[in-house]
Amino acid sequence: MKLLLSKPKGIKVLLIITMYGCFQGTSSVIAQTQDSIPGVTLGLLYESEFYPALAVHSFSGGTEASGLAREIETIIANDLRYSDRFEVMDSIPRGLVGDGIDYELWDQLGAVWLLSGSVQRQTDASGGFILNLELHDIVYGAIHEQGRFLLPSAEDADFRMAVHVASDQLIQWIYGELGMATSRIAFSRRSEDGNQELYTIDSDGENFRQITSYGDLTMSPTWSPNGEKIAYTSRKGTGLPRIYELDMATREERVLPSERNGDYITPVYNPNGREIAFSVTGGNRSGIFRYNWLRNCCLVHVSGGRWDDLSPTYSPDGKFMAFNSNRLGTPYPQIFVMPAIGGEADLVSPYIHGREGYYTSPDWAPSGDYLAFHGRVSRRGRYQILVAQISESGQRLRQLTREGNNEDPSWAPDARHLVFVGTRDWGTGLMVVDTASGKIRMLLRGFDVRVPEWSPSLRESLGVGSLPARQ
Amino acid sequence: MRIKDLAFPAIVMTLVLGACGGSEPPPPPAPTGPTQAETDAARADSIARVQAEEARQMEAERREEERLSAARDEARSTLEDMVHFDYDESAITAEAEQILRRKIPILRSSPTVRLRLEGHADERGSTEYNLALGSRRAESISEFLSGFGIAADRLMTTSFGEERPLVNSTDETSWAQNRRVEFSITGGEVVVSEEDGSQQ
Repeated sequence: MKLLLSKPKGIKVLLIITMYGCFQGTSSVIAQTQDSIPGVTLGLLYESEFYPALAVHSFSGGTEASGLAREIETIIANDLRYSDRFEVMDSIPRGLVGDGIDYELWDQLGAVWLLSGSVQRQTDASGGFILNLELHDIVYGAIHEQGRFLLPSAEDADFRMAVHVASDQLIQWIYGELGMATSRIAFSRRSEDGNQELYTIDSDGENFRQITSYGDLTMSPTWSPNGEKIAYTSRKGTGLPRIYELDMATREERVLPSERNGDYITPVYNPNGREIAFSVTGGNRSGIFRYNWLRNCCLVHVSGGRWDDLSPTYSPDGKFMAFNSNRLGTPYPQIFVMPAIGGEADLVSPYIHGREGYYTSPDWAPSGDYLAFHGRVSRRGRYQILVAQISESGQRLRQLTREGNNEDPSWAPDARHLVFVGTRDWGTGLMVVDTASGKIRMLLRGFDVRVPEWSPSLRESLGVGSLPARQ
Repeated sequence: MRIKDLAFPAIVMTLVLGACGGSEPPPPPAPTGPTQAETDAARADSIARVQAEEARQMEAERREEERLSAARDEARSTLEDMVHFDYDESAITAEAEQILRRKIPILRSSPTVRLRLEGHADERGSTEYNLALGSRRAESISEFLSGFGIAADRLMTTSFGEERPLVNSTDETSWAQNRRVEFSITGGEVVVSEEDGSQQ
């Protein structure tokens, strides 16, 4: 099997292909497995680990904010559940555990962590609140961390997002890792009339919002690195797919100038925020192009030719680009990685001559070490979510779904969860899989959705007043 | 002969006839000639004849216009006949080639006509990849027509991927119908050529 791999300097681009060469000869049993790709392990990215029990001591809100305190407590408890890092215990009424924190009692109840909190109205006229959180380490019987978080008024559109900031801070305190609570997912949804509009939904399944009303085909949203803008492709107006950018706060929109024929599709932001890469199909020349939004200048050809290079995604350092292509000359697209400015491409998807799979829609993890994509793994033509490790150590390809049809994965800012379009007997919806535990959660059920894209953390782009203030 | 050429003599004819009927001079006084009643009758006959001739002529024009209009409609519909593809393929099938060949004489006799070729895919395959597949299908039609001398700038391609199915069900028959390129006339005048239209 011939590989196009030339190892670029400074990055460890693995080649899974070699692994396949080995597996072909030795594991005919795996190769016979009906619903998986030969040589691909079914299962999880990490070894299963211990999930510590986390209890929540009912938040207090005094006389004027007790209802709000309960609401905030629920938002945070759900975020912690969705983080898939804890065994979140059912809440216990204060009447049973008392107002104070009795470490011995919580220890007997099996808690490893205990979260307590209080909500009070801000003293100024903003109508906002202050959320005080205390994270107790029950094993050591002491406060582990504590912090103050400013919340806008409960009617503010960013209220829930501001609470999610506190949830992500808890993940940071306990694990030193980024969470994904302060984020949204953008996607397109097909309506009765056959058009598609863009929508967003928060990471916890709340705030289902319509973003566009163009009455045309609008799809493939992508988030700017700071989460303030989205870009997408739409046929609106001209009847030709063109790339647009929308400022989520000001609703200001601009179109990428079209300098040539062809359809402009599958946009993605460069992590530097200045450039956007996308594919052109049809017209005089197809392939991946990039354009500088800041300077409003210059359509630069990156790759492509007589084949289609599609759905580009940048490595977080902006040095590399993954995409899918039919450049091997079969109708089965494969996943490739190349330098972000173009150049020789390395095959990443498993390739067995004569038994080619169909792999598309790559998405590079914000941690830089994994690529998610979907592939056809059985003759029934169904797609499953796959994750490939992009490093020299522990070269592995994992299949994360086995049921139904699963397409278009996109990484959460925590580099651990993926959102994808899942189709089951009941219909289609958005699902979230935890790549560590394999646990799948329903995010949005029963809508004809397409190509979801998880935002970066929106913490920085939230309005004034919602930034956490440590004591 | 083109439509415009056919229409011109018909218009001239109408004008001539119109002149005869409209400004007939009054008959000179002739005491030894026919009686006033006979003259009136003869004039009425003449007017009737002219009117009948006018009516016949208009009817003929109407029929000719209908025939031409039908021929144009047929030519339009031939131009808009969609073609289908095999699964995951953008190659032109034998059946598709027959449909495409029927478009060529019309495109040649209608040099101002511009076509939009809209590629479509069935629902299998990835959403974004199907956009490219639809595009390849439209491009392959464009290349085929260009090979017959149809200027490429008259043919615009675009793709709807799997997003605009003709038939909304999940079986091979529906998928086969959805794998297609549709043609829409975006400008210009459809001209029916003499050889292509029915005989006059």
